Amino acid sequence: MTAHIPEDCIVRIEDLHFAYGGKQIYRGLDLQVPRGKITAILGPSGTGKTTVLRLIGAQLTPQRGRVYFNGTDVNAVSRPQLYRLRKQMSMLFQSGALFADMTVYENVAFPLHEHTQLPEELVRDIVLMKLEAVGMRAAVDLYPAELSGGMARRAALARSIALDPDLIMYDEPFVGQDPITKGVLVKLISDLNASLGLTSLVVTHDVREILEVAHYVYILAEGRVLGEGTPAQISHSDDPRVSQFINGDFDGPYAFHLKGSKSYLEEL
Amino acid sequence: MKYLKVEIMVGLFMLLGLLAAVVMSLKVAGLVLNSNAQTYTLHAKFDNVGSLKLRAPVKIGGVLVGRVERISIDQNELMPVVDLAIESRFNHLSSDSKASILTAGIIGEQYIGIVPGFYDEDMGSTYLKDGDYFQDTGSAVVLEDLIGKFLYNMSAAKQD
Amino acid sequence: MLNFPGMLGRYGLKKISALGRSTIMLYHALVARPQLRKHFPLLVQEIYFVGVQSVIIILVSGLFIGMVLGLQGFNILKDFMATGSLGTLVALAIIRELGPVVAALLYAGRAGSALTAEIGQLKASEQLSALEMMAVDPLRRIIAPRFWAGFISLPLLSLLFCVVGIYGGKFVGVDWLGLDDGIYWSGMQNSVELLADLVPMLIKSVVFAVACTWIALFNGYDCRPTSAGISAATTATVVQSSLAVLGLDFVLTALMF
Repeated sequence: MTAHIPEDCIVRIEDLHFAYGGKQIYRGLDLQVPRGKITAILGPSGTGKTTVLRLIGAQLTPQRGRVYFNGTDVNAVSRPQLYRLRKQMSMLFQSGALFADMTVYENVAFPLHEHTQLPEELVRDIVLMKLEAVGMRAAVDLYPAELSGGMARRAALARSIALDPDLIMYDEPFVGQDPITKGVLVKLISDLNASLGLTSLVVTHDVREILEVAHYVYILAEGRVLGEGTPAQISHSDDPRVSQFINGDFDGPYAFHLKGSKSYLEEL
Repeated sequence: MKYLKVEIMVGLFMLLGLLAAVVMSLKVAGLVLNSNAQTYTLHAKFDNVGSLKLRAPVKIGGVLVGRVERISIDQNELMPVVDLAIESRFNHLSSDSKASILTAGIIGEQYIGIVPGFYDEDMGSTYLKDGDYFQDTGSAVVLEDLIGKFLYNMSAAKQD
Repeated sequence: MLNFPGMLGRYGLKKISALGRSTIMLYHALVARPQLRKHFPLLVQEIYFVGVQSVIIILVSGLFIGMVLGLQGFNILKDFMATGSLGTLVALAIIRELGPVVAALLYAGRAGSALTAEIGQLKASEQLSALEMMAVDPLRRIIAPRFWAGFISLPLLSLLFCVVGIYGGKFVGVDWLGLDDGIYWSGMQNSVELLADLVPMLIKSVVFAVACTWIALFNGYDCRPTSAGISAATTATVVQSSLAVLGLDFVLTALMF
């Protein structure tokens, strides 16, 4: 494992401690997201991978440590400043989080209406352009309830890039998708990153899909970074915990059986 | 400009609410909108005003001619003074008129009844003007006094 | 032995922290300067949901409560040869107590629970988070218009309730039981005062509007984002609003009448 620290980081997390509902989720997390690249955060379910995205967006406040976005400590700024910062980032939620009472068009136009004074014709052009980029131009007048899960996620992706953010965070984009949709999403993440010049941060546990496109990978477990590196470095890691996760072995350093206080014999 | 159905419904709702407010104040509270109707003020001193209330009616022979405007105490004589706002069109009240505090029914509200006096220039009577006092007044009947008087008369009658 | 005070203490702290969070929520929702051009259509939309859609239930309930008061009142006043006071009885009962209180209870059940469920659903489907991440403050965009809609709607609904209730009493007393129309209205007009009765009624319903809407919005905003959480929050809204309305009504009555 190399301690490769890129020079230009859009997000920098230092010594992060966070507990929620009496459960310690992070104990000293350090993480950098290099600008212009696709960074993946991998980890087993239940390690709070999504939480890290909410911490970057300052929807949650850490007990200790700093989160910098574009060089600004997101927890040290006032509410209006925070909302200005958030205009430069966007997030694709697991469910898509499209507004259920608006059509796809209105959903994608929403951030433009909220934050710009553009005339409606221009808004329309931008919306169609973004929908074209995700291949959803035909669904412009549909309501979210009429879309399949994969289509909803693509429409939500169009909404996320409507304002041309610096950073886009994907929260478990592949969960519950069929292989074709997964492939489409992987390609979209990669294409958008290249064509729009943005930075992508993908949280997932679908190892195979993301290793195809990611430039840099973090593996989280037990509240801190377990391993990091390029996909090639990660794939050939000699840390047994990392390789167990990458290869999907059912038993290893992470035991198949949950740790209990009593032994099986005792319990019987 | 075309309005949405929602906007029209909300507009109707607001109108309905305002209409309700108007009905409440005019029909239910009996608020009369002729507050610019001209009135003049007369004063009347009473020994006792009982439970007379502000805005209680002032009537002549049962017809409303004004309302009680203010109830206060004369600082010198320590007697209750009631200010009556009388509509200007009833401006021919003789100075011999009498104002009394009466009760509508046995347990009803108290009001002021005016019995107009005769107008006779030879006798020196004049018309009451703004700010004048009634010379002749009748106080509210207090039930306790009435009962007391009745019992006193009973015992006096027994001794005879 | 220390279990009971411990339990009580934990409960109290939880309630106080919820009160604090709800106050912060309301503060952030109301302190923000509204952008009229953008937020006015939202307000109209919400008045439609909480106000217009509650009109029918308010009208029907008001009518029946007025009619029942007319019937009961007439039968009792008859024994005292005082049916002339029926208008006074119906009007004062409805204006001083039943109008604002029953309208608020109906509003809490009809609109308050819907607000809680709607906001809980927005939260559970991550739409509130999505707004935040799009740099749109959900307190300004979602909470504030709904609060003002309730603030405007409930007093209007209470007024409607009172008018319909008084006419309901009139239908029974005058049109059915044969009381004189003039006596019904004049008795009422002599005893109902604008400043002493109608203004306190409006004050009451404004206070109830703030309480019910605030409780409904906070329960939705603070709920656990699961279906069980939303249903618990909806129940809590109806229970807390009803208790708040009845408690506040006593306090306000003691202060104003």
